[in-house]
Amino acid sequence: MAESRADHDHATRRLWPALALPGTVWLIALFLVPFYAVMAVAFSGNINIFGEPIPAWNPLDWQFATFGQVVSDSLSGPFREAWSRTGLYTLAALVICVGVGYPVAYYTARLAGKRRGLILALILAPWWINYITRMLAWVNLLQDDGYVNKALGIFGIAPVSWLAGNSFTVVMALAYGYLPFFIIPLFSSLDRIDQRLLEASRDLGVGSVRTFFHVTLPLSKMGLTTALVITALPLAGDYYTNTIVSGSPDTTMIGNQIELYLLQGPQKNLGAALVLLLSLVLMFFMAYYLVMTQRASRDAR
Amino acid sequence: MAAAPLLAACGGDSGSQTLAGGKAPYPLARPDHPVRLPIKNSNPPVKDGLAPESGGDFKILNYDSYMAPGVMKDFGAKHNVQVQVTPYSNYDEMLAKIREPGESFDLVFPGPSVLSKMVYTELIQPLNHSYVPNLKNAWPEFQDPWYDRGARYTVPYTIYGTGVMYRADRVSDVPKNGYDLIWDKQYAGKVYLLDDLQEAIGMSLLRNGLTTDINTSDPKLVQKATDSLIELINLVKIQANVNAYSQVPEGTATIHQAWSGDPIAGQYYLPKGVSTDVLAYWRPDDPSQRVVGSDNIAIPKSSSKPVLAHMLINDLLDNQIALRNFGWNGYQPPLTKLSAQYLIDNDYIAHNLRDAVVLREDVTSGLTFYEVSPSTEALWRQNWSRFKAGG
Repeated sequence: MAESRADHDHATRRLWPALALPGTVWLIALFLVPFYAVMAVAFSGNINIFGEPIPAWNPLDWQFATFGQVVSDSLSGPFREAWSRTGLYTLAALVICVGVGYPVAYYTARLAGKRRGLILALILAPWWINYITRMLAWVNLLQDDGYVNKALGIFGIAPVSWLAGNSFTVVMALAYGYLPFFIIPLFSSLDRIDQRLLEASRDLGVGSVRTFFHVTLPLSKMGLTTALVITALPLAGDYYTNTIVSGSPDTTMIGNQIELYLLQGPQKNLGAALVLLLSLVLMFFMAYYLVMTQRASRDAR
Repeated sequence: MAAAPLLAACGGDSGSQTLAGGKAPYPLARPDHPVRLPIKNSNPPVKDGLAPESGGDFKILNYDSYMAPGVMKDFGAKHNVQVQVTPYSNYDEMLAKIREPGESFDLVFPGPSVLSKMVYTELIQPLNHSYVPNLKNAWPEFQDPWYDRGARYTVPYTIYGTGVMYRADRVSDVPKNGYDLIWDKQYAGKVYLLDDLQEAIGMSLLRNGLTTDINTSDPKLVQKATDSLIELINLVKIQANVNAYSQVPEGTATIHQAWSGDPIAGQYYLPKGVSTDVLAYWRPDDPSQRVVGSDNIAIPKSSSKPVLAHMLINDLLDNQIALRNFGWNGYQPPLTKLSAQYLIDNDYIAHNLRDAVVLREDVTSGLTFYEVSPSTEALWRQNWSRFKAGG
């Protein structure tokens, strides 16, 4: 009996690490290796006949001149505008996501009752259609002689040139594209709030507005932060939305500049350096988020 | 997002040797320094007298809308192959696609500015002229061109000029320097550049009178030309693509820097009931100030149907087939019989678009983009990315 128990302990000791194996392999194969490849390209010191960097797989061969140049171009050179546009567009799109997404998530979680299944399905419905197709549909609507301008014409408003490098269009398109990413995590957090806490608040004579600001909002803070982070990451790296609804240098985001270097020419070391820089910036926010969640779970305990 | 193309770039394909000193390891062809491209034992032409391959796919790597679908369909039916086109919008994209490890193409359309590089890295194979008797139909200078003496690797496909395509119904006054149309703010939001760094920066060099050397390696000149392009971002909300042939007829563009084939093909993209009179094209009057170029046909080394590829090349040099192809894509083949006068007389080109026809003297005395040294290329790219970043 004692022996079989030892066997059992032995088996569990092996089982738990084994469960982590798929995730570990996934992480190494699809994150660490590609990320190392990006570094090998960004820190390459040699180019081939096509002007492409020859990846420096050995860290001892790494050269940082290109990366340094990209950093200085980002701080005060030609990339500065693209960076500030990226920050501004991401922020503006997030504000729209909060303005539109929070009420929708709140309604679905708290007030929709029997219809919540239907509403969730409707929120996810756009995902049944390919992202690019949806964006191209916007291009049709927003053309100079498209339906949007025709509709404005009814009210005597002059046609707007939506697609000629219009920042407003880009921000709206970004918010539209990523809104479901925002609503779903927020919904699940609002859904988990204990109904009794809200009832308690009401019982103590607090109105519904104050209940929202003093109970619901603080309790959904973590969900809101998660939703913001999950939405902000792809927003900040997006390039295709911009390509489709603008195509003008006037709205270039950092993702477009990365795309230019990686897909439209040989200077992939510059693109890789920008990828690293963008990752660093986003990692900074991620780290803040992780610290925050840890603090929150400690407080909860 | 970034990993896939990066890893593709890491493949151990041709051209992986290091480049030092910013100089090309092969001579750069110029009209006054013609180049005979080497034929190496490792990359021989196909043998004489072989039967063309048939069955399966025949894969063409080409600009979008650059070969008549009817011509490809007939060729496919005749030789029992499925003709497929993989499109690219510039040479960077073409080079990336042709170098993809394991990828195979049967035909490609490189211009002189990328040719030596492609031969040096063995991306294309030498031609066997015994399969291409129709080369005699080409203009003599293209049977033995300066960038490929003896036409060892290429035959000519099209010649074209670069200028400004515009809507005659919206532009009342064309300045003497027609490039100024692009800097005219009354057309803001409807002005486009070619999404091609040589064409865009080269045009700015000419418009601003900086130099007529459109291959300049002078950093100051390239920088000034680019600064002038950056001005366009605020001035006219400039955009860039290669779709002048459809955007001007459809009206989304009023002014579009364009290749000469664009207005000619544009006749077929006009909405119903709109006359070809709305299309117009401007190029400098002086042939020595005109930008001209040529595209060639070559066979990738990776081709699985090289004999059949020779057959299609020979077809495209046939007067009748070339004329049919021109009738669809709007780009002139440099064939002796299909002179500018012949094309106009046979109503292939509307009267008001005569300026879009490339003449023999344009080719002999015009300005052309050459293959430049890696350091010059890097200089131009650096400036282009400055423009693309929005200034």
